[in-house]
Amino acid sequence: MDGNSRWAKARGLPSSAGHEAGYRTLKKMVELSGQWGIRALTVFAFSSENWTRPKMEVDFLMTLFENVLKESLGEFLREGIRVCIIGDSSELPPSLQKLVKEVVDKTKNNTQIDVIVAISYSGRKEITQACQNIARKVKDGLLEPEDITESHITEELETNCIPEFPNPDLLIRTSGELRLSNFLLWQSAYTELFFTNTYWPDFGEADYIEALTSFQNRQRRFGQRIN
Amino acid sequence: MDLARENTWVWIPLPQKFQAPMILKLILGFCWYLLHLMVNLRHMGSSVNDLLFSYIISMGLLLKHQNLQLDELNSLAVVVDSEEAKNTTKIKQLLCWLSSIGIKYVILYDMQGVLKQTIRTDLESLTNTSMTPCSVVDAKMVTSLFHFEKMAIEIISLADGKEGVAKAASFLYSEHMKDDSEICYRSEPDFTESDVANALKATGSAGAEPDLLLVYGPARCHLGFPAWRLRYTEIVHMGRLRSMKFAVIVKTMHDFSKKHQNYGK
Repeated sequence: MDGNSRWAKARGLPSSAGHEAGYRTLKKMVELSGQWGIRALTVFAFSSENWTRPKMEVDFLMTLFENVLKESLGEFLREGIRVCIIGDSSELPPSLQKLVKEVVDKTKNNTQIDVIVAISYSGRKEITQACQNIARKVKDGLLEPEDITESHITEELETNCIPEFPNPDLLIRTSGELRLSNFLLWQSAYTELFFTNTYWPDFGEADYIEALTSFQNRQRRFGQRIN
Repeated sequence: MDLARENTWVWIPLPQKFQAPMILKLILGFCWYLLHLMVNLRHMGSSVNDLLFSYIISMGLLLKHQNLQLDELNSLAVVVDSEEAKNTTKIKQLLCWLSSIGIKYVILYDMQGVLKQTIRTDLESLTNTSMTPCSVVDAKMVTSLFHFEKMAIEIISLADGKEGVAKAASFLYSEHMKDDSEICYRSEPDFTESDVANALKATGSAGAEPDLLLVYGPARCHLGFPAWRLRYTEIVHMGRLRSMKFAVIVKTMHDFSKKHQNYGK
């Protein structure tokens, strides 16, 4: 969801206006995803690197996340949206941490669509945490060090909160940047990458259809040979 | 007049309720055809434009593409679909082109290790071990480092990616237990990103983080390139290896040189 600040700057607006517009776009994309049968949607809301942004912007974003979760809880329950939050929640304000736990707990039985929100997230930190969890399992006698494989790492990743869909099929990055920026580094091995120049607040149904059509046209082999 | 003997043509108009939907279908069908035509023309125009641009770049007619500013490009990665990686002629041609552009460090990757089996042998015979190791990376950190003209080449596969992290996890645990062996109450493992980076180095799975990654193959994905090294890498899908063009590589390098990263700030 990249490009909120640049979208606002292009219109002579403060970056907060861009983030609010970005939220409206997110709402629309979740709605479309549910309508089109997409079962899991992971969104990159705030990276661990974003903490270095100006304090005013960071405080605004934390308040925005809190307001969005409070206002949308009813909708999550009505629409059957299961919410999962990944990232280092210990860095979030205490009120937001509490709200996150409440939302995750209340929506855990929903089945229509899974929405994973990455807040204070780092792909490298996620891999590090997975290694740490595995070390604990070895220490507790549940696993031998020589038996550690990549599938053990995969099981310990935070995105395993939705075990049915561990790896995304399609990754869309907006605003013209052509990189992952520390997002889902492990999970994206076979993920189709779609980069668009559109800023996130302007990303609409037509852009989404273009990304999905592009995905459908690709010959994905997952490393296998196609006969 | 014998009405029974005459052939009479009678036009029976369709009932009105069927006429409107049929006309609507025809109109919609025509609109759909028109839309397809417009999209096809747009794609054709784009292809012609790309071909023309490639020709102009190849002829060196565009000054901005002649002197590429590659100061920010310390390391370039090339991911090749394993099926396409068997085309060693194309791989060698690609390496020649990259060397001619002035690339100093290339990481060649394919999932199944085809490049390790094919290109490696050729590069081993070319590598001059007396050459000063490339300053981009500590040569001791990398197990498959070769030199081709003025370019250092690292060849890796999936074994150096996800499997490498698994080995690093095992190494981390062993190191933690070694440090902890004297303590009566064993502490919980508490690893940092630096610990993982050092573990990858110790197990031979570390390496330079490429600034730019070119993907050759049918799918636009990095096919398991070492996740730890991909944090801020620009990723560009170049199409099939058999269709690769020098001009497209030059244009990609030029576009990269204009990029600005703010690293999340």
